[in-house]
Order: sequence, then structure tokens, then C-alpha cells
Amino acid sequence: MNLVQQLINGIVLGHAYALIAIGWTVLLGVARLVNFGHGQIYMLAAFVTWWATVGLGLPYPLAILVAMLAGVLIGLVMQAAMLRLTFTQDLVSIMIVTLGFGHMMRGIAGLVFGGNPQVLETPLSWIDFELAGAWVTAQDLAIILVTILFFLLLHLTLERGALGRTARMVAEDPKLAQLAGIDVRRVYFAVFAFEGAAVALAAALVAPRTPILTNIGFEEVIVTFVVVVLGGIGSVAGSYVAGIGLGIFTALFGGFVSPAYATTAAFGVLIVVLVLRPSGLALGAGKGGR
Amino acid sequence: MSPVLRPALLALAAAGIFLLPGLVGVHGAFVVIAIMATAAYGLDIVVSDLGEVSLAHTVFFAAGAYATGLLATRLGAGSWLTLGAALAAGMLIALVLGLLTLQLREFVFSLVTYAATVVAAAVAHNWDLLGGSDGVSGIPTLDLSIGPLRLAAANDAMLWPYAFVLLLITLYAVRQFRRSRLGAMAMMVHLNPRLATMSGIDVRRVRLGVFVLSAVFSSAAGWLYAYQRAYIGPDLFETYFLVLMLTAVVLVGRRRLLAPLIGTALVVGQERFLSFGGEINAIILGGALVTALAILPGGFDAVLRRLLARPNPAARAPETRPVPQP
Repeated sequence: MNLVQQLINGIVLGHAYALIAIGWTVLLGVARLVNFGHGQIYMLAAFVTWWATVGLGLPYPLAILVAMLAGVLIGLVMQAAMLRLTFTQDLVSIMIVTLGFGHMMRGIAGLVFGGNPQVLETPLSWIDFELAGAWVTAQDLAIILVTILFFLLLHLTLERGALGRTARMVAEDPKLAQLAGIDVRRVYFAVFAFEGAAVALAAALVAPRTPILTNIGFEEVIVTFVVVVLGGIGSVAGSYVAGIGLGIFTALFGGFVSPAYATTAAFGVLIVVLVLRPSGLALGAGKGGR
Repeated sequence: MSPVLRPALLALAAAGIFLLPGLVGVHGAFVVIAIMATAAYGLDIVVSDLGEVSLAHTVFFAAGAYATGLLATRLGAGSWLTLGAALAAGMLIALVLGLLTLQLREFVFSLVTYAATVVAAAVAHNWDLLGGSDGVSGIPTLDLSIGPLRLAAANDAMLWPYAFVLLLITLYAVRQFRRSRLGAMAMMVHLNPRLATMSGIDVRRVRLGVFVLSAVFSSAAGWLYAYQRAYIGPDLFETYFLVLMLTAVVLVGRRRLLAPLIGTALVVGQERFLSFGGEINAIILGGALVTALAILPGGFDAVLRRLLARPNPAARAPETRPVPQP
């Protein structure tokens, strides 16, 4: 295990983390919503990708689209159930409801895809490159490339476009936005559909790195928390930087200290950040107007 | 109701429930219901009274079970000692986590407590001292004998009285908590933190106090659960327990003394007597949680009240509304 290999691993991992977290970032930043079923959507989307390639025999890019479609569908169903809670901004209930959805998704995945671990093989994971004595696969490069493109696109849409303005207005003051003629309901649905699609895309790209089981998804949620909190709640650029930072930290910690405790160490980072600057994280501060 | 009739009726109801497993001939399900309800009451006082959603109560539950399992198998400790250790372990973790999350509210609080659960699960999986992913098996049976008084339970039927007593103590303690100064202060902190601060209430101390107190219930439940299962392992951290406790707390209604017990009985009863297999049970449990909050706000209790109130519109009970968080 040399340093270069770990650094490259960290960069790949970091892009994966950023991509996994982006749905939450937008969900929280744009709609002031949370989703504790995030990890289970990741799990379900990984299975859908696997099923689309192995079961349906679809080529990998099409399988990614199928998974994203499934993600959109899950997001829409969840938002439909939570619409009343969303309008009352009852975050505490939303949290519990999304946990309930997560539990349901595990049951559904077990029922549909069985309890056996599967390996998602993609044509890209067979291609290796040597880079300064370290190895990367084409799959890793794809993760980096897609993440960068996705973030650029999102940054442009949210910061520059009219869509981003609408979404931010809804986040700041749903009632005022409604008065201004914005269909708030549609924005909420769109944001949750985006959350589903984004985490499904992440799953389709990142899940080939590890075996997929119905009980994966927890680490992804923790990683997402850390990225969202470190990056500054709702900040797209911030979560990109935080993702990379956490990825490199995790790779170095896993490579040189202990791979089993990498998540624990990430949580340690979260605690340190929370203790050092708790005020910057409180959602209440966002509610009062940024 | 007259002051004599009420306790008599309560005692009668308690006796009826106590005899129920014997009549049905199934003890295991009732023991598990009593244990899980006790664990859920810990979460209940945090969710219903303090107004925060803790996702770390599975950790307190597991801490109690682990302390019991490890001490009983490795050191041959008796059941009284393991009870003390279980409570100490749960309260210590609650104290540390409570101090760390003292400044955090709402979803950030839940997020950190959830992260704590995931990390605790990772530690339990990887630390050999705790039995690693195999866990610890061969936990001896419960033995609370004092001197000549023989108090031991070798099977579920013999364990039922102890589980029942644990549940009764919990019910009494939660009732007293809600009437106590701490309980009143917790409600005030929940409903109006600013007013609470202005009235001279130390919000942090109240939060910490309720959080640590809640761990007592959950870890005591873990203590008995270790004896009931005779095995502990990292599966104690599964979201199943978390979702079960949350469902028990919200399914029937908030701040009703018997609600978590009825909620637990419904969930565990379905799993034991009307099971459709693990996966479908998970869908039912998750679905119940979603339904209770998204479709039936206020739980069954509110639905029942609305139905009962219908014949007489003038006397309709005020609809329960979520308290706006400041």
C-alpha cells in the first residue's frame, strides 16, 4: 500500500462520496427536507442496476437510466406520502417517515431480489490503467468524470438559472412563493425526484466497487451526513470539496490505520466539526433567513 | 372515578394481563412485548416530552444487553450485578452522547444520534472484546435470588413475571416522570425553550437529564433481553429495533401512558401471531410507521377520538396539531 495508490483511491472515493451526497445537499438546501431512506434508495438502485444488466441483459448505460427512473419513482412516492408534512415543515415527522420508508425498501428488496449478495459487474471495471505505479479502473475514472459533469451542470442550473431561483424562493418562504404564482407542490415533487435520481446514479456508478446486499446503505448515509455538514448545508460546491476531503481522509485512514474503523473516523470528523462550529449547522439559522 | 375504584380496576386489569400468557399458552411473545415496550418508553419520553427524535436508543438497549452478556459469560456475574452494569453502561453512553449533542436540535440532533448508532454497530462488529460479528452466546439464565429467596427464570414462562414487573415499574416511573418537576420542565423546554430559559430553567440540564433518564429504561430492557435470548450480537443495532421503537411511540398517540405498550403489542403481536415472513413483516412495520405519521397524524388515538366525536359535532375534540418548532 503506497501513498500514491491511497491518494488516488481517496480521490476516486471522494468523488463517489460527493455524488452519493448530492441528492441530500439539494434536498436540504433547496427544500429544507431530509431523507433518512437515502441509503436504502442507494441499495435499491444498486439492485435495480444489477437486475437490469443481468436479468434484462441491458447494456450498462441503459441500466443506469433504468435505475435512475426507479429512483425518481421512489422519490415521487415518498413525497406524495409526505406532502402534508412537507407543507407544515414538520421535519421531525418527515425524518421518522423516511426511516419507515427505508425499512420498507429493505423488505421490498429482500422480497424482489432475494437475500443473496450480488456483484454488479460492468464492462468498465475490467479496464485497468497504471498511473505513477498505482492502478485505477475505467469505472473509477467514470465516477470522477460523471461526478464533475454532474456538479458543473447542477452548479450552473442552481446558481445561474431561473430554476434555481424558483427553488430557492420556495425554500426561503413557501407561502410567499405560492403567492408569486409558483406551484410549490411541483417544486417539492421535483426536488424529491431529483434526490431519488441522483442517489440512483451514484449507486449505479459506485456500487460495482463493493458487493451489494439488502443491508448496505448505512455507511452511505453517514458519509452523506458528513459531506452535507462539512460542506455547509445546501452548498453544492461545498459538498464537492467536502466529499473529496472525506474521501482522501477515509482512504488514508483505511490504508494506514484501520479499514474497519474508517466510518467511525468519519463520524469523529463530524463530531469535531459539530463541536467546533455548531451554529453554522443549525437548520434553525437557515429558517430565519440566510 | 372514585379514588378506591380506580386503583382496584387498574389492579384487576394488570392481573388480567398477567394471567393472559398462561391462558393463551404462549409466553415468548408476551415477554418480548414487555421488554420491547420498556425499551420504547425510553424513546417515548425523549420524543413525546422533550420533543427530539433520538435515533440512538437502540445503542442504549444494546449497551444494556452487551454489558449483561459479557459480564455474565466472561466473569460469571450474577443478575443483580449485570443489571447495575447494564444501567451504568446505558447511562454513561447517554451522558457522553447527550453532552456532545447538547447544542443540537431537530434534524441535526437526529442525524448525530443516527450516526452514533451506525458507529456503535461498526464497533460491535469489529471489536473482538465485544464478541465481534459472532456476538456472545451461552448467556446463563436469569437468577435474581437473594439469600434464601429463590428468584430464577429458566424459560420464557418463568421469565414472564420478571418482564411484567419490569414493565409495571417502567409504567409507574414514566407516569411519575410526567408529574415530576423534570417532566414539567421538559415539556416547557419542548414547547417554548425561550420561555423556559426566561423562567430560569437550565435547558441544557433538563435535556441532559431526560436523555440520561431515558437510557435507564432502554438499557434495563436490554438487560432482560440478553437473558431472554441467551445471545447478544451486532444484530441488536439493526434498524429493526429502531423502527420498532419509533413505531411503538407514534402508532397509537403521543403522551398517552399506555400508547407505546399498545404499539409494541400490535407490532410484535403481528410478527409472532400473524407473520408473513421477514420481508413482508418489514414492509408492514415500515408501512405502519409511514401511515401513522403521514396519513393518520396523532396515531390511532386521534382517529378514534375523531370517530367518537362525530355524532356530536359540538363536542368534537380539538384536532391534534404538530407544535410549531421555534
